[in-house]
Amino acid sequence: MNHSTPDNKNEVSRRGFFQLTLGWLAGSFAVAAAAAGTVRFLVPNVLFEPSLRFKAGKPDDYPDGSVTFMEDERIFLVRQGNTFRCLSAICTHLGCTVNRADHGYHCPCHGSVFDEQGAVKSGPAPRGLEWFQVTLSKDNRLLVDKNQRVAADKYLVL
Amino acid sequence: MNDLSVRRFYGWFTVLGLLVGVLVVIGYYRDEYRGWKDYQRKFIQEEIRRASTPQQRALAESTPVQIRQILLSDLNRVDRCTTCHLAVEDPTYGGYPQPLAYHPFHEQHPFERFGCTICHRGQGRATTTTDAHGDVPHWDHPMLPLQYIQASCGQCHEAADNPAAPELARGQQVFEDSGCRGCHKLNGAGGVIGPELDKVGARRSPEWLKKHFLAPASVTPGSAMPPQKFSETNLEAIILFMLSQTGESAPGYYASMKVIPSASEGQRLFQQKGCIGCHSIGDKGGKVGPALDDVGLRRPPEWMIQHFRDPQTVSPGTVMPGFGFTETEARALTDFLLHLRDQKVALSLPSLMSPAERGREVFRKYGCAGCHGADAKGGVPNPNAKTAEQVPGLIYVADGYTKDELKMRILKGQREIPALDAKRPPPPLYMSAWAGIIKDSELDDLAAYLFSLKPKGENLGF
Amino acid sequence: MNAPLPKRIWQWFTRTRVGRSIFRIGLPESNLERSQVMVSSFLLHVQPVKVHRHSLRASYSLGLGLILLYLFLILTGTGVLLMFYYVPSTEKAYDIMKDLQYVVSAGLVIRNMHRWAGHLMVLFVLLHMCRVFYTGAYKRPREFNWVIGVGLFLLTLGLSFTGYLLPWDQLAFWAITVGTNIAGYAPVIGPKLKYLLLGGNVVGQEALTRFYALHVIVLPTAALLMVAVHLWRVRKDGGLSRPDEPGDIVQQIELKQLPTNKTYGLMELARGTTPQVGKNPEDEVFAWPHLVFRELLLFLLVTAVVLFLAIFWNAPLEELANPIHPPNPAKAPWYFLGLQELVSYSAFWGGVVVPGLLVTALMLLPYMDRQRKGVGRWFARERVVANTIFSVCLVIAVVLTIIGTSFRGPNWGWVVPWKQPPAITEGH
Repeated sequence: MNHSTPDNKNEVSRRGFFQLTLGWLAGSFAVAAAAAGTVRFLVPNVLFEPSLRFKAGKPDDYPDGSVTFMEDERIFLVRQGNTFRCLSAICTHLGCTVNRADHGYHCPCHGSVFDEQGAVKSGPAPRGLEWFQVTLSKDNRLLVDKNQRVAADKYLVL
Repeated sequence: MNDLSVRRFYGWFTVLGLLVGVLVVIGYYRDEYRGWKDYQRKFIQEEIRRASTPQQRALAESTPVQIRQILLSDLNRVDRCTTCHLAVEDPTYGGYPQPLAYHPFHEQHPFERFGCTICHRGQGRATTTTDAHGDVPHWDHPMLPLQYIQASCGQCHEAADNPAAPELARGQQVFEDSGCRGCHKLNGAGGVIGPELDKVGARRSPEWLKKHFLAPASVTPGSAMPPQKFSETNLEAIILFMLSQTGESAPGYYASMKVIPSASEGQRLFQQKGCIGCHSIGDKGGKVGPALDDVGLRRPPEWMIQHFRDPQTVSPGTVMPGFGFTETEARALTDFLLHLRDQKVALSLPSLMSPAERGREVFRKYGCAGCHGADAKGGVPNPNAKTAEQVPGLIYVADGYTKDELKMRILKGQREIPALDAKRPPPPLYMSAWAGIIKDSELDDLAAYLFSLKPKGENLGF
Repeated sequence: MNAPLPKRIWQWFTRTRVGRSIFRIGLPESNLERSQVMVSSFLLHVQPVKVHRHSLRASYSLGLGLILLYLFLILTGTGVLLMFYYVPSTEKAYDIMKDLQYVVSAGLVIRNMHRWAGHLMVLFVLLHMCRVFYTGAYKRPREFNWVIGVGLFLLTLGLSFTGYLLPWDQLAFWAITVGTNIAGYAPVIGPKLKYLLLGGNVVGQEALTRFYALHVIVLPTAALLMVAVHLWRVRKDGGLSRPDEPGDIVQQIELKQLPTNKTYGLMELARGTTPQVGKNPEDEVFAWPHLVFRELLLFLLVTAVVLFLAIFWNAPLEELANPIHPPNPAKAPWYFLGLQELVSYSAFWGGVVVPGLLVTALMLLPYMDRQRKGVGRWFARERVVANTIFSVCLVIAVVLTIIGTSFRGPNWGWVVPWKQPPAITEGH
């Protein structure tokens, strides 16, 4: 090496300094990127579970005043006149599926009782049943989105 | 120690470190910037532009950019076409350029239950355009050109039944008329000279099939199949029909939806339930109930369907029994009777036909015309065959054979065809052995038909 | 100028309390620290404190053993990541390969890295074997390390072969069909071996499960253990071979005979040759930084190459495995094509006898070689006979492999690869 070669082993030439820093920066960046890439790799982009957004059929499939239980999605679809709502059938206590009672809902596991609005009337459940967003899809079907929780008084009006 | 000093490697260190860094960036770039994200962003922009209320705008803006897929576990597939084809369900996107165009006709075949590739083929799991459209190496099911799309209907529905797939029905008609079954087995019936056709639609492309019909030897060297002379429409139709033979069977839920109430199904039921015992059509049948020739003119379809559901409700006091028809069966029978009115369906009820008439159906069923010509008149070329280099016609078989000899001949076939010139290649077409394929009753009827072919009054006295 | 910033940061950190508890020695500044650091770290203590300058020469060893180690690490890393998605089910495996390509972030690159690193590993294990042979580095006292190396060679082939099946596409299915059929030709044990490998008579779900178990845990663990022993033996045998090594002089050195102008910490006590001790101290240099830095560079190079291949060339994925649709011809993985060519002449002699003899000969090689001289030099004159025999065998193996790859077509007939292939009548 014909440029300044220092005697002291701790010191490096200017060129060497630049090279080392750049090398370590690039290398560290690569390591960080590889780590980030590994984590991103492990995050699933698609799920092979039943989708949280699904179509619940045409509005006319549900008679007025009906509460329809959908087993696979674990929800109740409630129609009153021209309003449609969707209630989660999963008990907020420990996750059992609640049953429809005469007025309201009842959980067979530990006896929680919910009223028509999903609020807790009695039992160990800590909070009311959840309501999910219902919209109308572009091809005129009820679209339930379990990603979106809504207040009990928000419903789809047709 | 200077020659060993690591300092002289610092340059290498930089270069390699940078190289690895650059490669990581390239890798990230190629992974992150895939075509579908651009399409989704364009779609979101379009939705925002079209939004007429603040809620719609908010909904559009909050649309996530992500892969969308339709999981079809019964059909064993996953379709990710909707990752780019985002507006298939939105009628307001009719006429937009792909991939944002609307897709009509999904009332009976909702996308959530059927996906896309079951009809359009292609590679549903892919998320890049070329790969998804499937015309790539090592993928056997590229997208079906749109002109052949009706072929996919035939995977689940009977070809002849489907009013929405007239080309498919035409294709089946051409197939039957041309006698392809004489050499090719389809659904268990047919000859053995050519390969079975049950899965041909999954193995061969439309281009191959076209070449195959026009010039078989160009795609299958040494093929015995004579070139076919189809009209343009018939050629397209039979290609379509071949494409529909994929060997797929519709599972569970889909099979239950399979039957479209149809005239030919109705005819089958009509025969099976013995309606002709009480009702007449033309000059055949019983006199207990009314004649059915023009029932389509006298009664509306709704009346007829209700009549099949429960005869007493529309004809109080009738002696017609309640048969317990399903809804589909009722509609099928109604359709059949309506067709009688339109005379669209040739009435052929086997129990009322003569043996020769039945034999004609057998001749048609097994595709004998493919070699022996339409109406057994001959004319199909068989190069180097002693019989005037043609497959012989069968008009005069009554003169050359007894019925038993004829039946024997059909059952045994003839593998070696006498050649005109021993130096030329042997004649490619031969007679299959039909033993085990043709039923005894069918054989009797076929012999009767063939014997009936001789023009009346001739007696050449062989 | 002062030391670059990353170094200064590190020096600061390793002097904090936390830093000192993890890294007992920071960046070494003195020779004492350079000695201490090699035994202070679990990862580093595989290396010696000092290494002979000759061993540092890239032109001698070509770094092949290190390259293999790095490839193994890359394979393990990418392999573990792939395990988070892959399922060894004949129903699912192929679809998951497609999903890796289309849906999983970085899935394609990671799969490609795994595939190309695997192929490179087979290639480099052959190259490493050639290097060790041509430098006579298997001779006394390193005979057993060579045998372990042959074991590692077979394990590498086994790892590559078991992994080959996992995508469950046509390429995988038929290559393994051919490979296990060749295994079945062995006399007496052949059919039983094939039955054991496949978990049955056909290549199906059982085979996939077994190959998966072998590929992800059994063979890698065996390989890891053998690598550990292999490296340990390198240390015990006195480092890499080199010329003019005091070969078989076994010295019993009593501690009091050591010259007193040097202080020695007792790092290890070993039998056998101790060439460094008392011999040419100026030819040995500290592993830190001379060896360690070179190792780092080589790691960067190997990573860059594997990344480059992975980004620009996709690992193959053909159609879904279809037992009724064999490709014509069906070919084994490339490293078995020479074998398949031999088998096409004779199943027994070509498939069993010749390879069996070859492997046995390889293992016994160091014990058959009586020539003591020629260690540590490439193509030493004294070894011209041995080198020639080996080279001839090597060339024959390469030629057979090339024939099997490019000159064999349908029905294993001859084809000339640069002429037009015959018109394809099957298919589209």
